[in-house]
Amino acid sequence: MRDEKLENSIMGKIKSGQVKLKSKYAFLAEKLGLGTAFTFSVLLSILFFNLILFYLKETDNLKYLSFGKFGIFAFLESFPYLLVIVFIILIVFSGYLLTRSDVSYKKPFGYLAIGMIAIIMILGGILTYTNLGQSFEREARRGNESVRVFFKPLINDHNNGVAGVVFEQNENYLILQTPQGMRRVEIEEVEDIPSIKKDQFVIAVGFGEKSSFKATKIMIADKGEMPSIRRGIDFKFGEFDRKNIPPELLNFTEEEKSCIKKCFDLKKSPRECFEECHEE
Amino acid sequence: MDQLTDEQIVSAILEGDKDLYREIIKRYEKKLSHYLLKFLSNRDDMEDILQVVFIKVYKNLYGFDVNKKFSSWIYRIAHNEAVNYLKKRRGSRISLDDVEYKLIDEKADIRGGADQMFLKEDVEKVLNEMNVKYKEPIVLFYFENMSYDEISDILRIPKNTVGTLIMRGKNSIKDKLEEINKKHER
Repeated sequence: MRDEKLENSIMGKIKSGQVKLKSKYAFLAEKLGLGTAFTFSVLLSILFFNLILFYLKETDNLKYLSFGKFGIFAFLESFPYLLVIVFIILIVFSGYLLTRSDVSYKKPFGYLAIGMIAIIMILGGILTYTNLGQSFEREARRGNESVRVFFKPLINDHNNGVAGVVFEQNENYLILQTPQGMRRVEIEEVEDIPSIKKDQFVIAVGFGEKSSFKATKIMIADKGEMPSIRRGIDFKFGEFDRKNIPPELLNFTEEEKSCIKKCFDLKKSPRECFEECHEE
Repeated sequence: MDQLTDEQIVSAILEGDKDLYREIIKRYEKKLSHYLLKFLSNRDDMEDILQVVFIKVYKNLYGFDVNKKFSSWIYRIAHNEAVNYLKKRRGSRISLDDVEYKLIDEKADIRGGADQMFLKEDVEKVLNEMNVKYKEPIVLFYFENMSYDEISDILRIPKNTVGTLIMRGKNSIKDKLEEINKKHER
């Protein structure tokens, strides 16, 4: 004979309304919420991965490593920690949501997680072909706090490294235009100083604060190597959108106008373009 | 009533026939008690948890996909409750009846073909000390007579993993029994 105590107790609770069915809309909302949170989290992961790639590719950060052990502090100082930390948190959160979704039902989590990370990295990599990173960088420079916080290492002064364009060159020091402003770089202690000319792009490691910097190593860099630094200098010393300057407004010949247009499209600095085209 | 499948009963309950839930309790009370007793220390705790399981199942009936197997779903809820219980209170006691002892002896081939005899207490001891990760599929497969597919549904792990866990669990039982046997011989 079966003991009906449990059965009667539960049925009693159900009939008295003490135990009720959870609404089907609650389950629907839970499913939708989970799906939305997962999609949102993956999209944000893609964006953050793209911003990390953008940062490493376009700023001076990785370039400091070409100084070997001398560049480590400058590299660490300019590293985008917050971008990386948020990216890792988003990946972990996406993974957690994945385990709770129907997609992962009875499937090995390891493979799913690898697949998810691969998709995030591929899409994040593809996004580097767009201007998304630049848009965020521009917002950060314009002072949008929610974006600026992630780009702080790029925007703030560095104590262990400096990159910029030579504005003035002397025997013992250089004056550089940097995204943070003019910076005096002492080069007395640098061995094997390369032949540095005005308007050249240089990167140095050493130590210094605010406007003065004592370099221990210095290197001439290509103009295209650190586009973000160049944009920062343009922003600081001449903020305008090159494409919006109609050459028609300036008293140039047709040939010069077309030369300037082409030069602007190559994203060279206006001064360079005017000089180049004027020489012709 | 007996001809209705679990899934049909659930559909009827969701359409308003609450009384039919009695049938679900009837069908699963014994099965789940048996299953839970493999993880819980005593009968009183098991009864409390069984009540929680049936209440949770009822409350969440709209969350059940009627296209899936109800038995796997209800076992999944019981499994979660058992795991929660084990987290709160370390250690569980398995006590095998003679049929179960015979089952694990024959089906799992714990003797490994050798003509050695293990005491029921030894097998119980090894099962009790076993990691819950291996114990669950072993219990479901050997004592609840479930297929790999059903176990995979309940534990939400791939079918291949079920096979691997059962094999590793079985090997671990054999190794530990060998050790015990050696100790007895000394």
